[in-house]
Parts: sequence; C-alpha cells; structure tokens
Amino acid sequence: MNHRDRARGCLLGLAAGDALGAPAENLPPSEIRRRWGRLTEIEGGGTDDTEYAIFAASLLVRHGHALTSADVAAAYRREIIPRVTGPMRGAGFSELGTVEALRRGLEPPLTGLVHSHGWSDGLAMRAAPYGIFCPGDPAEAARLIEQDGLVSASGEGILGGRAVAGAVAAAMGGAPAQDAVEAALSVIPADSWTSRSIRRARSAVAAAPAGGLEEALHEAAVVHDYPWTDLAPEAVALAMGAVLAGGGDVEASVTFGVSLGRDADTIGAIAGAIAGAMCGEGGVPERWAARIAPATGKCLPVVAGRHVLDIADELADELAGGL
Amino acid sequence: MSGDRIRGAFAGLAVGDAVGWPAARHRAALHAPWSRRLHRELDAFAEEHRVTTLPVPFALNQPTAPLAVGPSDDAEWLAWTALTIDRPRAEAFRELPEGIRARISVTTALGNLARGVEPPASGHDNPHHFDDAAAVRAVAFGALGRDPTQDAQVTNAYDGVLGAQAMAAAVAEAVASGSARKAVEAALAVLPRDTAIGHNARLALEVTRRAGDPFAAVPALDAALLDHVYSYGVGAAQTVPVALALAEAAGGELARAVPAAACLAALADSAPALTGALAGACGGYDAIPEGWAVSARTLAGCCLPDLAGRDLIELTVGLSEGIA
Repeated sequence: MNHRDRARGCLLGLAAGDALGAPAENLPPSEIRRRWGRLTEIEGGGTDDTEYAIFAASLLVRHGHALTSADVAAAYRREIIPRVTGPMRGAGFSELGTVEALRRGLEPPLTGLVHSHGWSDGLAMRAAPYGIFCPGDPAEAARLIEQDGLVSASGEGILGGRAVAGAVAAAMGGAPAQDAVEAALSVIPADSWTSRSIRRARSAVAAAPAGGLEEALHEAAVVHDYPWTDLAPEAVALAMGAVLAGGGDVEASVTFGVSLGRDADTIGAIAGAIAGAMCGEGGVPERWAARIAPATGKCLPVVAGRHVLDIADELADELAGGL
Repeated sequence: MSGDRIRGAFAGLAVGDAVGWPAARHRAALHAPWSRRLHRELDAFAEEHRVTTLPVPFALNQPTAPLAVGPSDDAEWLAWTALTIDRPRAEAFRELPEGIRARISVTTALGNLARGVEPPASGHDNPHHFDDAAAVRAVAFGALGRDPTQDAQVTNAYDGVLGAQAMAAAVAEAVASGSARKAVEAALAVLPRDTAIGHNARLALEVTRRAGDPFAAVPALDAALLDHVYSYGVGAAQTVPVALALAEAAGGELARAVPAAACLAALADSAPALTGALAGACGGYDAIPEGWAVSARTLAGCCLPDLAGRDLIELTVGLSEGIA
C-alpha cells in the first residue's frame, strides 16, 4: 500500500466518521442504541472536522515542514477572519476565541492562551493531514501540528493534536492499532491529562468488560461535571479506544467510536483518520465513500468545493516530490 | 493594624461576593429545587413570549431571607479555607461532606480525588483548571503570609494556580503595608508575561490607569479582557487582573473599587469578591461601610451547609491573633 492510498483512506475515513457521528453528538450511548442500534449509515454531510482538516492540509501544501505559527496566524487573518461577518458557523469556543484574539491584535502563542478553551479537541479533529505529511515519523508530525496548535490551542489541546498526528503518522507508516496508539503516547508527556486518559481508555479496552465497553470507556475518559464535550483529553482517548476496540478496521472503529456519543463527530473523525491510514482507501466502506461530497464551506467558506480525496492527492504529491 | 487588615480582607471579599448579581442566584440554592425550576420556566416564558420582563430570584412559599443582600459561594469557601488551613490540603477536600456546591474546577477535582487522581493532577486534569476557585481561597493564605500553592494545585493548574499565587502575594502585601500599589507590584512579580493572566494583568492595569478611575475603566476593561465567547466568567486570567487594576485605581478604597467590578456583568460572580478582598486588606475592616460589613459577614450556607449562620469575621479572630 503506498502513501497515496493511505492518505486517501485517512481523509475519507475522517470525513466519513465526521458525517456518521454528527447526529450522535452529545447523546448518551444508551440513547444512541435506542435510536439506531448500531449507527452505521451516514445521514448527512460532514461538519467542522472535515473542513478544518482541509484547511490544515492547505497550510502544509503551501509551507511544508517550514510551517510556523506565524504562517498559520496569517492564514487565519487572510482566509478565515474576513469571511466571519456574522455568526462563525460551526465554530467551537476555541475557534471564535482565537478569531477574537487575532482581531485584537494578539499573536501566537497568546492567541491560544487567552481564551478558556485551550484544551479543545479542535486541533485533534484536524490533525490527520499532519500525520499524512510525516509517514512513519510521529515526532515530526507532532512538531508540525504544534505550530498550528500554538495559534488556537494551549496545553492539553496541543497535546491532543500531537497525539492524533503521531498516531496517523505511525499508521501511514504501516503501524497496526496498538502501535499507532503507542506512537500517540510517545509524542506527549506521560505526566499529562491526555496521556493518562489514553492509557485508561487502552486499559478499559484490554479488560474487555462484560457490561458494555461504551460505559467502561466513559468511566475511563469522560469528565462528568462539565456540560461541554469537546475536551481533547476526552475525545482523543475515546477515539483511540475506538481504534483499539475496532482493531484498526475502519467500519468497526468508526461505528464504535460514534456509539460513544459525546463529541461523536470528532471521535468518529479521529478514529476514521487513524484507521483509514492503516487500511487505505479500500478499507473505507464504499457506501460511505459514495456519501462524501466536496466540502460545502458551511464552517469555513474558504474550503468550499474542495474534496478530501483531492486534498489527499495533493499531500501525496508533496510526499512524492519530496522523496 | 494588620489584624484589622486581615479582617478587612475577609470582610471585603464577602462584601464583593454579596454585591454581584449572581449572589442571589447562589443564595436561592437554599430554596426548594422546584422554586429554581420555576425560575428556569420563567426564563423560557420570557423567550417564548418575547417579553423583556426578566425573572429575578423570587420566593414563592419560600423564606425571603436568602434573597436579602448577603454573601454567597466565595465567602463560604474562604471561611472553609480558614477553618481547615492547617490540614493537608487534599485531605481537607476529601473530608468535605456530601451535598456541597462548588465551582466546576472544585467539583471535578473532588471527582478526581475520589478515583485516585491525586494533586497536582486533580487540579490539572480538569476542564476548569483556569478558574479562580483557588484565587478566592488564596485570600486566607495571603492574609496569613502563607504559600497557597499546595491548596491551589488540588483544584487548579496554570493560570488557576498563578491566580492564587498572585492573590496571596497581593493580599499579603496589602495586609503588611496597606498599599494597593505595592500589592499590585507583589502580584505582578509572580505573574509571567507570557501567560494569559500575566498578559491580562498588565493590560488591565494599563487601560485602567489610562481611564483614571475605577468606574470610568469599566468599558475599557470589558474591551481589553473579555472576548464574550465562553459560557462562564470565572477565569482567573480575567477576574484577578480586574481585581488588581480596580483596587489600584481606587487607591485601595473598597467603596470605589467593588462597585466598578460588579459592573462587569460577565465577571460579576467573583471579580467583585477578589477586588473586595484586596481593597479590604488595604483599608482594613473599619474602613468598610458598616451596613455592608454587617450584611456580608453572616454566611448563608448556600454552598457549604455546615457554615449556615456562622460569622465570617469571628472565624478570623483566631487567625489574626497570631499575627497582630
């Protein structure tokens, strides 16, 4: 399997997981079971996860390994902020908080520090292109995505992005599920919330509990006394747990990931990206791939009309050119 | 004199806690739960009927006393800190009874402790690690000249811990010298410039000095510090800088600093309390308007039921005797 095939599988898996998980967002696993049994069919389009990943990929195509946080901030100012004239559709707190910080004239890393959502999973949800760009090199993928993260995230939000980029990079290099999760852990400090959360999720999967793995993973990673679900240490750990539970198979990993609820579209997108990079384009169910249309730009107008497969090819072209 | 300033720090925090609009919402926790459910339904009614007559905390068949001017969450957590200050901090939190109310940071930390996640991870693996719960408790540590870090790390991390260290440093200096300007300097000395709280503290001081007066500075503080994006307003990176800037602009006068803090609606839960603690420590208890001191010193028990009816200032007598 070549890099192009894995890149296409990765971004298709991301887009499919994003779209599949969207209707399950913020539902408890029991309610998801009641409505769908197992949620296996894509109902609508993708959301912010896919569009921000396309945007991140465009930064890599332009700047490559020389990408800096200043480049990323400049791209926000040039390509995102001028189009935010009313509501910033599909944005989480961290995206609008970042836009407000940039509008105020702040520069990274303060732009990621001054809003309260530094730990958002907004970086993790768009981490896949960084992993694609660094096949077999999790450390470089993590270094690169940190440049993006310094604009909009801080602390555990950056670590969540590093972990996912690292896992995708390992998967691009042919690593199986266990090794991809190990790669994620290798690029973040052991003494971090994200690391502790991923390791608890991994133990929960390994224990193979009789009483429902969804609930066991919630116990391992979910923050109970907080109303928002977009915490990177939580979503990333649940997605890694889903990849382990699904053995790296795209359909098994993604359908289990979205069955966890919470930030289900992002969990599905991360699980789909990692598993898709492992399995390549052929690993993504054809019925899902057929549902992935070009981005509408409903969250990021600048990416309207771009298809994830074209983005994957552009990244693969960069890899081929760099060899 | 320092005993008067220690009492001033505690009473000042309670006065600030009492002035903000959230105080009555916290104190309404003493009412039956259905009473607060009705409040939520009246909010929905206003939305559905497009009426601008917004509900306020009310007493239908409930005692009215909780809705009188008085202290709420922050004064109770400060009192608890004073009562437990010699206990190892994680142990003190573990010994809290069931049924208490607390900020998200504290509630999450208690959940962490219960499942074996010890400090500093209990405060770090926490979605509200950045809030000012520890900064409120740090008023007790600062008044006694003690380091608040061990306490802060149980419930907070990063800006949440820095906020506590800054408040303790400022209160300690204010108790020692009575100077708001020196208190602010002491706080800045522990706030790195490359953190949000350190950046915001210097920015808040700059715009407030330019405005020249606490009340005049309110719109500038709003514009400089608040992005109005997030659903909660207790971030230490916002509330502590506001407290420092307003206490300084008021020259340590509580009656000028605290009302201005209460005008920042998004921060009205705790910025007035922190401002009051600093100004109260500068001016001492006797400088606090008597009506406010009297109204603010009796705890309601709306968060920590065991403290209902306790006198906050009596709690400080044992503390300040060792110092004064």
